[in-house]
Amino acid sequence: MSRILVVEDEQHLAEGLRFNLEAERHDVQVVDTGEAALELLQPDAAPFDVVILDVMLPGMDGFAVMSEMRRAGQFVPTLMLTARGHPEDVLRGFEAGADDYLTKPFELAILIARIRGLLRRRDWLRASVNHAAAPRESSDTFIFGDKSVHFDRLELRVRDQTFPLTLMEANVLRYLIAHEDKTVSRKALLEDVWGLHEDTDTRAIDNFIVRLRRYIEEDPTRPRHLRTVRGVGYRFVASPAEA
Amino acid sequence: MVVAGRQKSVAFFIALGIGLISVIILLYVGWVLLNWRTGILLFLGVILLTMIIGGIVLNTIFLVREIRLNAQHDAFINAVTHELKTPIASIRLYLETLQTRAVDETKRREFYRIMLEDCERLLATIEQVLRTGRIGASARKRNLTEIDFAGVVEKSVERVRALHRVPAESLEYRPGPPVRMVGDPEEVQAAVSNLLDNAVKYSGKDVHVKVETERVNGRYVALRVTDRGPGIPKRELKRIFKRFYRVPGTLALRVKGTGLGLYIVGSVAKRHGGRAWAESEGPGHGSTFVLQLPIVK
Repeated sequence: MSRILVVEDEQHLAEGLRFNLEAERHDVQVVDTGEAALELLQPDAAPFDVVILDVMLPGMDGFAVMSEMRRAGQFVPTLMLTARGHPEDVLRGFEAGADDYLTKPFELAILIARIRGLLRRRDWLRASVNHAAAPRESSDTFIFGDKSVHFDRLELRVRDQTFPLTLMEANVLRYLIAHEDKTVSRKALLEDVWGLHEDTDTRAIDNFIVRLRRYIEEDPTRPRHLRTVRGVGYRFVASPAEA
Repeated sequence: MVVAGRQKSVAFFIALGIGLISVIILLYVGWVLLNWRTGILLFLGVILLTMIIGGIVLNTIFLVREIRLNAQHDAFINAVTHELKTPIASIRLYLETLQTRAVDETKRREFYRIMLEDCERLLATIEQVLRTGRIGASARKRNLTEIDFAGVVEKSVERVRALHRVPAESLEYRPGPPVRMVGDPEEVQAAVSNLLDNAVKYSGKDVHVKVETERVNGRYVALRVTDRGPGIPKRELKRIFKRFYRVPGTLALRVKGTGLGLYIVGSVAKRHGGRAWAESEGPGHGSTFVLQLPIVK
């Protein structure tokens, strides 16, 4: 049984979601504003396992709620749900820190499957955290220099600092690492990581890279690991030659 | 992001207009200083200059207006997308639920009711958009007949009460004297319904709406719809009747709509030889909408 928070102001949709998620044996709570959701997601409140977040909310919109959650250190897996299906909107959602994004009208089966995916990711995460009580490096870890990426835990460690990653940030990093020393175009990133095929403004990716650089580069303005290849995209270099 | 871009282009065109005008005036002053002796040329020059400046000013105004209208149009598309997709998403969700899960009888009935309400909402949005299209096409022949105005208002009041599930004391109707008028019953009905719908929609959870009809000067009938909603700032009172226009700010986000309702009200009033306007003491003081139409004596 998992606790799911549904943030949706359209009452019909909210009740439909509640019925279905309860039929899936989840414990569901519904709120109709972003402010109320943030209230419930305070660190000292009972934690949720998944959040379903609508974009068109009265007052604070879903993107703002998402950014605020992540800024406050609330990293609960979040699926954004919205009528706005433009690639720009999808990217904006991920940029704000969403883990998944679905446009209305959606297929019930797909929504349930995606929520299961988020829960599964969370369970793995818990399992690996428990496992890691003894400091043992799991197989899903990539180490370069004094930094390590722990994909299963969605963490990035730089010396003694630990940065939490969103699923999307981790996916972008994983993709770049898999293509180590090779140039990856923005278009390839969009297609393979986000699964977007339309002609999209690719600048949102740049924002992801900027954020990742802030974690792993000593000097983010002169990146050594995450290099820009002008006019094409990016290249990940694990062990840059000393300049 | 998009809005900032638009404001930039508005500023650019205004700056361009001002720049061009100053260049012209500068050139002209120079030209006058050189040729001040030839009177007739000077006279022609003044006229020509006025025309050029007038042209530039007109052009700039026109451009800025177009850009604004474009922005409103985008907002409209967004709103309509939301208004169309949300009920469809809901209907689909409930249909899929009924298809894939065991649902007991009471729940099943509730789901049917919800789906029917969503259909109504969908239909209302579509009607609104189509009606705007019809009103825009001025050549359309109208179906003019004699209408019992009080009857139309009463029917609308009942429909809105049922639709938003508000009790009679929240949406209070004081019938005036029976009046008859000539017009298109469908259009008049739509205009009245829009006013009532808005009053309830913008009232939020605490609905206190008063609906009255009265004769004015023996030549008109006025429908007054008074709410205790959020009120309207003075400078917005006229603009809200424009097509696609919605008062900027959080209120428009909270209350969903297409920005067509009042435009329809205003257009219908005009087409029937009457007028529609809004009165409000400002934000927080509620508002009154008046639809005034000519009657048959």
